[in-house]
This record gives sequence, C-alpha cells and structure tokens, in this order.
Amino acid sequence: MVQTTADTMDFKERLIASVKKEVKQLMEEAVTKKYVHEESSSVTSLCGAVEACLSQGLRRRALGLFKTSSTTALLHKIAKSCPEAEHISKLVQEIEASDPSKRSSSSSDSFQRPPMLKKSSSHSMSGSQQVAASSSSASVSVSASASASVSVSVSASNSSMSLASLKYLWIRLALYEKRLTKIIEYLVSNASSFYERDSLVADPDYGSILSSLLVGPCALEFTRAKTADHYWTDPHADELVQRHRISSCRRSSSTCSRPAIINFKRSLNTSSDEASSGSFKSIASASVAKDYVESLHQNAKATLLYGKNNVQVLPKNVAEPMPGYLSLHQHIQTLTIKWTPNQLMNGYNEAEEEDIDKDAFWAYALNINVDEIVYVHCHQSRGEDSGGTVILVGQDGVQRPPIHFPEGGHMQQFLSCLETGLLPHGQLDPPLWSQRGIGKMFLWPRSMRRRILPSVMESVDETPIDYVFRIVSKSRHEEFAATHSILDFVRSTPRRAQLSSCSTTGSSDCSNKSLSIDQFPLESPLLLHHQQQMLQQSTSIEMVCSTMRRQIISRAFYGWLAYCRHLSTVRTHLSGLVHGRITPEMKADEEGLTRERWELLNVDGVLENATEFYRLVYFGGVQPEMRQEVWPYLLGHYAFGSTPEERKKQDETCKHYYETTMSEWLAVDAIVQQREKEKTARAVAKLSSGSNSGNERTVRAVDLDLGGGELENEVFEDISDISDPGDLEFDEQQQQEGGGGAGGAGGAGGLVTSLSGMHLSVKPIPRSMKTSTDSGHVDEGESFNELDEDLDQEQDREREREKQAKPEEQGTPPNPEPSCSTSTASSYETVGMGGAQTTTRSVLSPEYLSADELQLPEDEEASAASGAAKPHQQAASVIITKASVDIANWERGPRASGGQGDHQMSPLEESPGETAGGAGPGSNLDALQEPKSACASPASSNGGVYSSELLEQFGLNLHRIEKDVQRCDRNYWYFANENLDKLRNVISTYVWEHLDVGYMQGMCDLVAPLLVIFDDESLSYSCFCKLMERMIENFPSGGAMDMHFANMRSLIQILDSEMYDLMDSNGDYTHFYFCYRWFLLDFKRELVYDDVFATWEVIWAAKHIASGHFVLFLALALLETYRDIILSNSMDFTDVIKFFNEMAERHNAQAVLQLARSLVLQLQMIIENK
Amino acid sequence: MASRKKSLLKVIILGDSSVGKTSLMNQYVNKRFSNQYKATIGADFCTKEVVVNDRVVTMQIWDTAGQERFQSLGVAFYRGADCCVLVYDVTAPNSFKNLDSWRDEFLIQASPRDPEHFPFVVLGNKVDLDNRQVSTRRAQQWCQSKNDIPYYETSAKEGINVELAFQTIAKNALEQEAEADVVNDFPDQIILNSQNNRPGNPDNCQC
Repeated sequence: MVQTTADTMDFKERLIASVKKEVKQLMEEAVTKKYVHEESSSVTSLCGAVEACLSQGLRRRALGLFKTSSTTALLHKIAKSCPEAEHISKLVQEIEASDPSKRSSSSSDSFQRPPMLKKSSSHSMSGSQQVAASSSSASVSVSASASASVSVSVSASNSSMSLASLKYLWIRLALYEKRLTKIIEYLVSNASSFYERDSLVADPDYGSILSSLLVGPCALEFTRAKTADHYWTDPHADELVQRHRISSCRRSSSTCSRPAIINFKRSLNTSSDEASSGSFKSIASASVAKDYVESLHQNAKATLLYGKNNVQVLPKNVAEPMPGYLSLHQHIQTLTIKWTPNQLMNGYNEAEEEDIDKDAFWAYALNINVDEIVYVHCHQSRGEDSGGTVILVGQDGVQRPPIHFPEGGHMQQFLSCLETGLLPHGQLDPPLWSQRGIGKMFLWPRSMRRRILPSVMESVDETPIDYVFRIVSKSRHEEFAATHSILDFVRSTPRRAQLSSCSTTGSSDCSNKSLSIDQFPLESPLLLHHQQQMLQQSTSIEMVCSTMRRQIISRAFYGWLAYCRHLSTVRTHLSGLVHGRITPEMKADEEGLTRERWELLNVDGVLENATEFYRLVYFGGVQPEMRQEVWPYLLGHYAFGSTPEERKKQDETCKHYYETTMSEWLAVDAIVQQREKEKTARAVAKLSSGSNSGNERTVRAVDLDLGGGELENEVFEDISDISDPGDLEFDEQQQQEGGGGAGGAGGAGGLVTSLSGMHLSVKPIPRSMKTSTDSGHVDEGESFNELDEDLDQEQDREREREKQAKPEEQGTPPNPEPSCSTSTASSYETVGMGGAQTTTRSVLSPEYLSADELQLPEDEEASAASGAAKPHQQAASVIITKASVDIANWERGPRASGGQGDHQMSPLEESPGETAGGAGPGSNLDALQEPKSACASPASSNGGVYSSELLEQFGLNLHRIEKDVQRCDRNYWYFANENLDKLRNVISTYVWEHLDVGYMQGMCDLVAPLLVIFDDESLSYSCFCKLMERMIENFPSGGAMDMHFANMRSLIQILDSEMYDLMDSNGDYTHFYFCYRWFLLDFKRELVYDDVFATWEVIWAAKHIASGHFVLFLALALLETYRDIILSNSMDFTDVIKFFNEMAERHNAQAVLQLARSLVLQLQMIIENK
Repeated sequence: MASRKKSLLKVIILGDSSVGKTSLMNQYVNKRFSNQYKATIGADFCTKEVVVNDRVVTMQIWDTAGQERFQSLGVAFYRGADCCVLVYDVTAPNSFKNLDSWRDEFLIQASPRDPEHFPFVVLGNKVDLDNRQVSTRRAQQWCQSKNDIPYYETSAKEGINVELAFQTIAKNALEQEAEADVVNDFPDQIILNSQNNRPGNPDNCQC
C-alpha cells in the first residue's frame, strides 16, 4: 500500500489533531478537578496519541540491527546524548527490572499486533473521522508500523486499568517527570538521524507543534494519591473539608466565616455572584487566604490569564527567594496577580500537624490588584538567559517583592498576558508592541507562541536589559468614585443619606454602564485625585456633580426599595418559623443546665420555672449525667410543677400500661411466630419436594417434609401420640428433647404439638387438630379448612373480636387486667428458677387449664356478650390463643423481664426451638398454675382472639422491626448486648398501639438515644410517644417533610441566594431531598451519640424558646457550615448527597448548634427590624 | 469528532428491606462485607469505575430505603436511571413476591422511555445461608416471564457472583444508554449490539 504525499500530510494532520484533543482533554480535567490522577484515562489517551506521533516514520535501522522499532528503543538510544532521555531511560529500566512481567507494552505493541487487526484498522483509515473519534473515551492504543504504510489501530486489548498504567511507560514517566517536552524537542532537532524524511517528527512544522503542545501537560502535577477505584470519582468529603480548611483561615476551621446573614445583606446590594470578591474590606481580607488556593484555578468568577509554577519571589524578611505559583486572573473588571509559595500549593496531602508552619507562608503569599500598580519594572541580566525579574510598584510608591521568572521567555509571556488583561480599560505605557528597541523580544511571545523553540530563545541575548512600563487606567476612576459614594450611601441608613458625599467625588460623565456596587475595593480619594489629574479631562465639574447626585439618589432609592421588598418577603415567608419574642442569650458565666442550676430550679423537687429551664437548655444544653432526670421534662412526659409523688405515680401508671400493652402484643407475636414457622416449614418443604404444592393442606405431608430428616418423624409421632391423652407426659418430654436439639424446624413442630395437644383435650379428632390450629391463627388467604365447623368458628371469632375491641378501646382494660399483669410479671420472674424439675407438672397443666378452670371466665364473658356462642367452640378458640400466649411467654418472657430489672435474659440469638423445647415451657406453664389462674393469661382477659388482618399486619410489622432492630447501632456499646431486645420491645409496643401507622424505618433510630439515656423501657416508651407526636408527621404518612423542604427552600432562597442559585442551576436540587434523613431522624444519623443527645435537647427546648422549626435552622447551619465547599466545588445533587453522607457523624455539632442559634436570632432581628 | 458520550451509568438497587442492598453495593464497590450496616434511610450512592466493552464508564449505584413506604421519595432518585437491580432474599419468600411491585413501582416512577425493554437485573441474595426458601427455578421462571431479566444468585457476604452480576448490570445499562442516544456516530454499532444481546440475554441467567 503506497500512500501519496497528500495522504501522509493528511495523516500527520490527524495525528497532531488527536494529540491536541487529548491535551485539551487533560488540561480540562486538570482545571476542573484540580488534580490529575496518574492513571486517568486521559493520560493514557494522550500517551497513546504521542506514541503514535513518535512512531510514525521511525527509522528502524537507526536503532541498531537487533533493536525493535519501538519508541522505547528510541528512548534508550537517545539517552546517550540527551540528559532528559537518560533520566527517563533509567527509570524505565528500573521498573522493567523490578518486574520482568511488566514490560513496557509499547515496546511490544508493534510486534504483537495481530494481522487481523492491522487489516481492519487500515480499512478503518478510510473513514476519515474514525481515528480521532475512536480515541475519544476508551483507552486507546495507537500504534504504527515501521513501514511507510501507516495504520492507526484501535486495540481492544486494554481491559484492566492496571494494564493501562503500564502502557506507554516511558512517555508516562516522562510526562510525570515533566521532561517529555525536552525529549521531544531533542528528537525534533535530531530528527534526521532517527526519522524518515516525511515523518511527522521530522516535519519542520509538526515537529515543533508536537513539542509545544506538550508543554502544558508537562507542567501539570500528577497524583497517585487515590486508589484506582476512585481516581475518576470526586474527592471524598474528608478531602474536600481538609482542602477547604487549608485554603480558608485556619482558626475558623471548617465553620463558615461568613454567616448567612451577611449573604442576606449582600443579596440586597448585588445581583451578581461577583459579590464574593468582596466590597467589604473586612470580608475580603478574611477570605484572602482562601482566595489564594480557591481562585488559583479557572473558575466562574475569574479567568485565568497566565499561570506559571516555580516563579521565585523574595518576600520581606526572607533571605532566600522562594519558588511558587504565579498566576494572573481577570475578574470582570479587575485584574489580580497572585503568587503562592509552593509550600501552600500542595498542602492538602500533608498531615494537619504541619498546618501551623504553613501559617507563616500565608504571610508571604502575594495578592496584588493591578489597579493599585502604577509601574512595572522589568530587569534582565545581560548575556545569559536567566529569565527576568519583574518589580511592581504601587501608586504609593512602594515596591512589591520582586518576581523572578525562570528562563524560557516566561517574563515576556507574563507581560503580554498582563497587557491583554488590562484591555479594554487600561494598557501598558509604552505598549509592548511599539517598543522598537525590544521589538524582537516582545514580539515573539505573540507570534511564536505556538512554537516555542529554545533555539530562538537562546539567540536573544543582545536585547536591552531593563524596561519600565506604566499601567494606565482609562476609565477606572469614575466608576470608583461612583461606587465609593454609593457604597457609603447604602451602608448608612437611607434616611440619613449624605448627599454631600458626592461632591467630593469624581469628575467625568457618569453615563457609562450601570454601576456595580461591590466590584471594587474601596479606594482612597488620593488615588482618585491622582488619576483624575492624569486623565486631564475638561468636563465641567458642576455638571458632573449634578448628574452624580441624581444618579446617587435614584440608586439609593432603589436600594432602599429593594431592601423593603426583601424585608417584606422575609416577613411573609419566614416569620412563622421563629418566635417573635427574642429570649436573651446566656450570660458569659452560665453554661447550660448544670447540676447546681438544676437543683436551684427544683424547689422541693418541683420544677416551676419552665422558661428559665428551657432557656438554659437551649443555650447551653444539659449536663450529660443529668439527662435522665431532665429529658422527661423536655419531652413533656413530666409536667412542670409536678411533685415527686405525682411523678412517681405517673411512672408507675406508665410502667403498668406499658407492661399490659406489651403482654398484649407478645401474645400476638407468639401466634405470628408460630405461623411464621409453619410457613417456613412449608416453604422449605415445598422447596425440598420440588415445589410440590398439592400436599400443603395435609398435616402429614407438611410435617413429614419438615426439613426432610429424622426429626420430622419424631415430631409427627409426637402429634399422633398426643392424640392419645394418656401418653402426654412422655410426649412432652420427647418433644423437648427433639426441639431442644434441633433448632427451628423442631421448634415449629414442638409448637404445633403443644397447641394441638391442648386442642385435643377439647376435640380429639386428629384431622381437625390441624384445621383448628390454622384457623385459630390466620389462614393467609388460602383456606385449610374443609370441615363444617369452620364457618362456626369464623362467626365465633367475629364475636370474640367485638368483645375484645371494647377493652382495647378503653385503653385501660377492665378489672381482670391488673391482677393479670402481675401474674404475668410473676411468671416472668419464675423464668430464672423455673426449670426442668417442673416439667411434669407443666406438661399436664394445659390440660387442666383448658379443660377446666380457664374456660370458665371466658365462657361467662362470652355468654354475657353474645349469648349465642357454642361453649365448646368458644373454648376451642380461646384456648388456642391462650396456648399461644403461653408460648409467647416461653419465648418473650425473658425479654420482658428485662424491663423489670431482671437481668437473666436470654440472648436474642437463642434459637426458638431451644426456647420452646427447653426450660421455658416448664416454667411458664408452671406460672400459669399459680393461684391467680383465673386470669392467668393476659390474653384471656382481652378475649385473646385476633382477626387475621390484625395478625397479618402486626406480624409484618414485627418482622420489619426485628430486621431493623438487629441492625440498629449494634456497634454502639449500649446495644452490644441484650439491650437490643429492649429496643424491640419499645418499638413493638408503640407499633401495637399505633397499628394504623405501623412501623416505619427510622423509628429505631429515634428510640435508641432515648433508651440509651433512660435505660428503662417504659420511660423510654412514654417519652418516645411524646417525641413521635412531632416526628410522626415527618414520616411518609405525614406531611411535615414536604413542609420542611418548602421552608428550607424559602430560607435558602431568601438568606443565601448564592447557594440557592447554585442549587437551582446545578441540576435543580431545590427539592432538598438530601435533607430527608436529617429531618426524619432529627439529625440522629448525622451525629455521634453524644452530639445527638446535645442536639435533641436543644431542638426540644427551642420549641419553647425560639423556634418550633429549629431543625430547619440546624439544617441551614449544616449547609452554611460547608457553604464554601459546596459553592467552590459547585456541587450538584449527587455531590451534595455524597458529601453529607460521607460527612455523617463527623460534624462539629457544637459549632453547628451555635450557628443554628445565631441564624434563628438573626432572622428574629430581621423580622423585628432591629 | 465524536462528542464524548456520557460516561455515567446510573443504577438503582431496589428490594425489600434487609435483603442486602447496601451490602451488595458495598461488596461490589469496596470489596468488603460488614454486618454493621444500618437500615438505609433516604438514599446513598457509591461510584465505581468499570470497563465495559472497552469503555471506561463510571457506575453510580444508588442504594435506596427498602420499606415501600419510602417509595414516594423515589422520583428524585430513580430519574435518569440506566438500569434497575431488583434484589430479593432467597430465605424470605415475601421479598421475592414483592419483586413485582418493586418493578412496577420503578417503571411508574422512573418512567423510562421504553418500559418494555428497560434493563432490569434480578439478584437473589444471601445464598450463603442454608435456610433457602425460594428456589432457583421459581426465580428464573419469574425472570423469564418478565422479558428475560438476567438473574443471578449472589451472596454479598461471601462475594459470590457479585462482580459478575454487576458486570452484567453495567453492560445492560450501557446498552440502554446507547439505545437512548438518538444521535450517534456509529449507528451500525447499535444495531449490532442490540442484535447480539437480545437473544444473548437468556445466556446471562445460567446460574
């Protein structure tokens, strides 16, 4: 395949174009991400493109007889004569030697390329766009063959990232070492010995273009600080915060240096975000340090005109010149020269301990506003090219520290950029262009910028040495003047506007563009005067004054109008969020609610002064060890003014109520668990028998299939044996052995057994045994009942429900309840000592209970209520429930006893089978035999039969609670042990009482801190109920969340318009969904436990002191704390979510609280117009 | 020149609570299993760089709250998804039954352009546990009935099949994205892909 010259040119053109594109890509990445990872795909792509250029037209013979034609070989070859190449060559050899497998892939590329690929790729060449297009995103390897026929192939070999990093090893290394340009320059100048005449490198134009293209990438800093998994993704929140901390004033740490209200004021004065460059000198100086790092990059506010690293500056009081990064930034109307010592440039990788040392460097950094500069002195030493020195002289005649540029024409470039930047409002005098004497020197940065050739530079040695330029500002001063006066004007109260101020200012016409108030720092009148003289305009001062006066008045008026409008907006939208009355802050010596204050407030155990109490808590929090006493007041559990006796009584009532409620749901829990087990057994059976669903209905099939082992047989035998009452004793024991030994399935079997056993006593038909068991629980849609009595039972259950509904509605159950609950308690207490020795008795007990005694009260009640119920059926259903309750007590008894101070709790993980089959049943049944057996079972007093919907619903809730409790804060010390059970109890009780609401994820997180503080189930429960009065609205069933979001929107929009603009423009996340978890859990997941306590009590107290919506201000404070990070990284929705998720539990809670309080206060002040 | 295509794939993980969504995500992204995860409130996401069809793409994996009550929040998170991962727990039949509603809910909330062919992937998680209750066959049947959804049985704890599953997820998401790209530089490529992969889908569910 012979290519014409035109083809070759075309191809070279495309090679260069692809390099250009990759350079652009890489530089963009560097600018937007502020760092480039070594393994970034854009680096790989660039290396690929460079490799393609370098290998095109490479002369094989030049490299020696046995050498490959690769560029790596070329590198080694030129290493002898080129020091840069030598250095890189050494590095490459070191790496290859250290790991032979990691041979530079570029050295083998041209050989290992399969012929197929070659063909297809040369074909693809005909599609003209193909080359560059395909190199766009994936890592691309561009290789070229040695012959004249050149083909660019897209190799698909690169599948793993680690491989990618080894591609183009030497080019990579040269890039990282910043020597690639030099090497290529060397190659270009020596092209004749290595390249064909028509190759790209040998081409007079393309060769130099290639080397100059790489100047930019060679100036970049590459990092390998992050893992390969993360290099593409955005920096971790930690890094963002740390970066910010370094760039901002260190003492203020990460907290916001400018509270929102300043933004509020600013939003009055300005419409553009240019405001942050600061009209108020104090703000500007406070954020100078921050600007240094933040603004060194191209961003929305400023255009980066020039940047050069390793520019040396000799700051005051320093002996040695320090290298640093010099940059020239163009803001809308100002030009800034910045120089930052190298020590500060790569600060965020270092440990925080070194931060202190860095403070010193901040003092050295330069931030020069070009407006303040009058003269620019340039010095060059004659003969040798040692760069140049620029000294800036301010209008006050003071010299700024000399800036020494390294060699390579950087000073000239800088001056040329400076001149460009000054336009259109200013210029260098004399202009660079008209400088005849130095024309050559200053011409080349413009005309030759694309082709930086060192040889040219070296030849410029007889140019004049020193030059002085004056910076002339054309129309600056009048704007300054106007700005100045209006600024004064606006800052003072509108009514007291000093019109006289305008007479001191400016001279010329004010017709030029609309004035922006805070774009310029305040200037001294001296300068104005000075510049005025320089311009020598002959405008009538009187006329100007009158124009100025008019304009100033009108602007002032509009400013005032805007202020009024803003205030009215604030009042309309935000006044509902805070209390109108401002509570005085704490005195300096007060520190929240301490023990002394608490005792002072508590007169004879009666807390009367609620306001003072809330005030102390709001401003200072509660001393940690007192929270247990104080929180019930905060949550409204104890009333103010209650006596200790009243509180004690209240606690007892609560405890009693809690226990009663708990016993109710425990009963249901047992049924649910049983059903669960049956279901599990069925599912397992189904699974093991290959989804054979037909057998589900028969007891035998199910039980036989239980797990598919010997155990089932045993259980089955149990059941069949139980049908013979005489063998009960033996069976029960056997069952215990089986159940205790074999876990879940055995437990299920055991339960079935005992239930059916009891049922049998009433109705000993083996077939109906299963039926009634199922119907006594819930028949989950599919009916197992084929017997006639099913209908009757259904009716019965309906009646039972009616009966039972009454006591439930009344809240406190009727007379049987108290004694019943005590008996429950006593039954719990016996758990510890109750054991195997009671087995015999207990085995018999269900029989007695169901057959004789227990039936009686139920019967009476039933007949009293409905009258028509058939005794035997009623008994059947009641007994079933009772049995389940008993089972519940076997399993839940130990947990329940935990609430009563009994610490003999069984671990949660204990297998149900063990509990059911082990010591549990004995002791519990034993308990049932106690004297109060008339109402021995709690459920019996409630009627004890539950509708299937209820069971279904509560079962589902329990299931969810269980899952979430298991996962709730298990790494927090308090929940490391059985305390998780308490959590489960409290939530289950709550859900039982609020079944309409049901359990919702997040409730666990709300109970947990209460439980940690109180370490008491019933108190936690009561307080949780109080807490939920407010919180329930946040859950999906309520409407508070949307309200929070809407309020947040208003708050941000009005108080921090800059942030709002960002949120609105950047993918619009003004829905504030990223705050969801904050509001749902009152920041519980955002903070560590101690901070949660502190935050919660402030939220509770705030309701009475400052704002019922304190959470909004907390959220706002959290946002404002990281405001600058969010803004400077212009985060979008995902960034913000990620940031705050990563920041969870690492916030400075006290700072955030303080900021939130001050935000409330500031809003109150605005509304009060103070 | 070809414009650089969006190289971000948005993947949503849905499924009942405690089926292991967070664990799967973290196992895939961080190669770690922890038993310390709490119930997810709101939403979180992780990103991971993957190479699919020789393209380096960033996968943004969204982990959501499992309780169906919180679905109302979904709109904000589901929007613009390229693939939806439905997870169930092989030891919890209900979590399998709910896959239907999760899928429907997603299609309603995310309202993708072509709901019929929107890529889903089903993961049956926790296969390391021995009290399995949903059979592979049943799951596969369901997947086949829903337009041949690829199905994998995974264990976030042991890291079984996680990598493989997410590779498929990334691949399918990328195809979805490619199809969504109306203007494309290589139109023939799309046709090639779609031909290749529709019949190829059943191959994906060999478990």
